Amino acid sequence: MKRYGEHRFPGKLFVVEGIDGSGKSTQLALLHQWLQAEGYGVVFSEWNSSPLVRETTKRGKKKHALTPSTFSLIHATDFADRMEHNILPLLKAGAVVLCDRYIYTAFARDVVRGMDRQWVRELYSFAVKPTAAFYFRVPLDVAMKRILDGRTGVKFYEAGMDLGLSEDPEESFAIFQGRILDEYEKMVPEFDLTTVDATLPIEEQQTYMRQIVKAKLAQAKRLRVAP
Amino acid sequence: MRETYAAPLPGMNLAEMPGKLIVIEGTDGVGRSTQIRLLRPWLEQQGRAVLDTAIKRSELAGKGIQQAKEGHTLGRITLSLFYATDFADRLEHEIVPALRAGFVVLTDRYIYSLMARAIVRGADPRWIRNAYGFALKPDAIFYLRIGVDDLIPRVVFSRGFDYWESGMDIHPSEDMYDSFRKYQSELLAEFDRLAKEYNFEVIDATSDVRTVFEHLRTGVARVLSGEPREPLFSMVAPAGEAEEETPRKVLEMPAPAKSAAPASDEPAAVDQTLTSPVEGNSSR
Repeated sequence: MKRYGEHRFPGKLFVVEGIDGSGKSTQLALLHQWLQAEGYGVVFSEWNSSPLVRETTKRGKKKHALTPSTFSLIHATDFADRMEHNILPLLKAGAVVLCDRYIYTAFARDVVRGMDRQWVRELYSFAVKPTAAFYFRVPLDVAMKRILDGRTGVKFYEAGMDLGLSEDPEESFAIFQGRILDEYEKMVPEFDLTTVDATLPIEEQQTYMRQIVKAKLAQAKRLRVAP
Repeated sequence: MRETYAAPLPGMNLAEMPGKLIVIEGTDGVGRSTQIRLLRPWLEQQGRAVLDTAIKRSELAGKGIQQAKEGHTLGRITLSLFYATDFADRLEHEIVPALRAGFVVLTDRYIYSLMARAIVRGADPRWIRNAYGFALKPDAIFYLRIGVDDLIPRVVFSRGFDYWESGMDIHPSEDMYDSFRKYQSELLAEFDRLAKEYNFEVIDATSDVRTVFEHLRTGVARVLSGEPREPLFSMVAPAGEAEEETPRKVLEMPAPAKSAAPASDEPAAVDQTLTSPVEGNSSR
């Protein structure tokens, strides 16, 4: 089977990855605005957002009925729906597609939950390889502080509470995110992720991202939408 | 100690599952549920606790799949993965607990139907096998085999053609009859390949309900008594089947008992890639 095929569509696919609190969504939003201002047809797709599976995921999360396997498979279903109905057609149509989280999120989380490393990679082998995948590298304590300052609490699955790491949600969250961080670090060479130092000022990170994106877009035909 | 096809699910202890996992496989309308309705009371009369389960019955995903299918908007990979979610949920929440408690689990279809459907819809066979690699190997797989010519009158005179059972999602230009014939022929050919690979015990489903039940009962009784499998039920060589392409394990095939109706056509050449426009080669 063709794995992470380098797509030959006119569109471009940029993804951001990193643990919660790494600032990746902020960076992607800034990139989105800039690309729009530059006149590109930009579309945004978020992890776990397919309307088709929403009810099922919601039901499973609400009842805490998801196991590592069903957690993994329902997210793969969600991703497949977005891939088949959204991302692929858009790439064919020449859009610039921006994904907040991509297959690497599944690789990190599912493996931490105990799923077989190769199994998860094969499961997602229908995904196309991104034009560039940005990994926002941040120390755990920095990310934790960002998350816990801005919120009232963390959710059950977000904190990895299903793994029984700790009774205390914050402690569980820290252990779980720490393990995810380790998985991300292993994936940097494996998938040639573009690392961004997420402790730098926001503008600096953005400048770096735009440089890389611009270089990738320059190789493609300029696909301006109506001014 | 139970076995799985590949890596087991995290936390699943494969020891201490004294129950029996018995799979009834077969295409749409072949009479699987009729047979399960007969098998269950027969087993219960002997004091066996029975769990019967079927596709889409999971608490987690059953409803979601139903709703998604009504919209006819499901992509092929999405559909396969949705079914895999349903299967994993039933495996962990129904099948395994029942096996631990010593139940006889009668499952109306298992991973094989799901694989056949996915492959006929263009999925890479290796991809779908990997997806279901965590499945428990059953104690027996009884395959109710029928040819498309015998299948059609049964379906027409009972419930009629169904959109998905007719493969209208992959042959949309055809009418229901033509599409059903084409799709089911492809499916039956794939089942025959799986029958060899996974060592199904083949039962000729063109016979009447009673005869099929007698065969099943003999087979199930044998499984429960722990006796080895008799050659009687071994795979009938599918007529007109040429040599297999490599990596599929072919199991021993004793002399054909009685040739069941062959699936009429060879399957149309199936595009082996799911995302055909993707051109890349394995980057890593």
